[in-house]
Amino acid sequence: MQRAVEQRGIPTVSITVALDVTRHIKPPRAVFLPFMMGHHFGVPFHTQLQRHIIEAALGLIVEARESGEVRSLPLTWAQARKQGTAIEREMKTEISRP
Amino acid sequence: MTGYSENAAAQLRPGLWQTVNERYPGSMIHKGDFVPLARLRKPLAESRLSFVSTAGVQLKGTLPFDTVHPVGDYTFRRVPSVSKRDELEIHQLKYPTHGAERDLNVIFPIERLQELAVEGIVGALTPNFFSFIGYNMDAERLERTLAEEIADAVVADGADVVLLSPA
Repeated sequence: MQRAVEQRGIPTVSITVALDVTRHIKPPRAVFLPFMMGHHFGVPFHTQLQRHIIEAALGLIVEARESGEVRSLPLTWAQARKQGTAIEREMKTEISRP
Repeated sequence: MTGYSENAAAQLRPGLWQTVNERYPGSMIHKGDFVPLARLRKPLAESRLSFVSTAGVQLKGTLPFDTVHPVGDYTFRRVPSVSKRDELEIHQLKYPTHGAERDLNVIFPIERLQELAVEGIVGALTPNFFSFIGYNMDAERLERTLAEEIADAVVADGADVVLLSPA
């Protein structure tokens, strides 16, 4: 599908959490995250991380020189979950504050 | 590509592609070549961004995806890019939704994309985003029908750049 869009002259980038599948499909550009399936943009309420991933993908649109580039971001699932837990704890604290 | 992420990927999904292909012959796509890169015709800040997702996200009240059909559902839904998070729901069975149930943006980041447009990081969003389900066992049919239909719809919506998220 991504290839079909690119072949219509529109630059594309995908977010993947399955690197081996991506390598077989050979999309024009992809950003890989070692995250759980269904959590391509991170964890709940971590707006900064969600946005960072989108901006990294858009960055690859501008910067990629060769078709098939897969860019890995230096993030881990454990780190994302830990940050998400802290954010949710803070949200609960704010709600319970008088 | 960093060494760490390569290792993390290998640990997470060793040989996944081969395993799935053995169990469901023909369900996975393999390409031997790369398509030529298309180039941005204008800066991102002037470009219209579209989003294509396999997450089975759709407007409440639209015909739910057929998540139990053995060979999959080869239709797609338009999701207006101005939709509010609580106007959308997920119909799919093939990925964990515990994150998306609390914050849809983890798989369908509609609010983050709306913010990028408001802030001028991208010029605008296409009127619609495009959604289907990833469970489709006939890859050849998907390529021949759904992929072409969505690619045409993306063009018709005036997209200059497209973000995709294969869930």
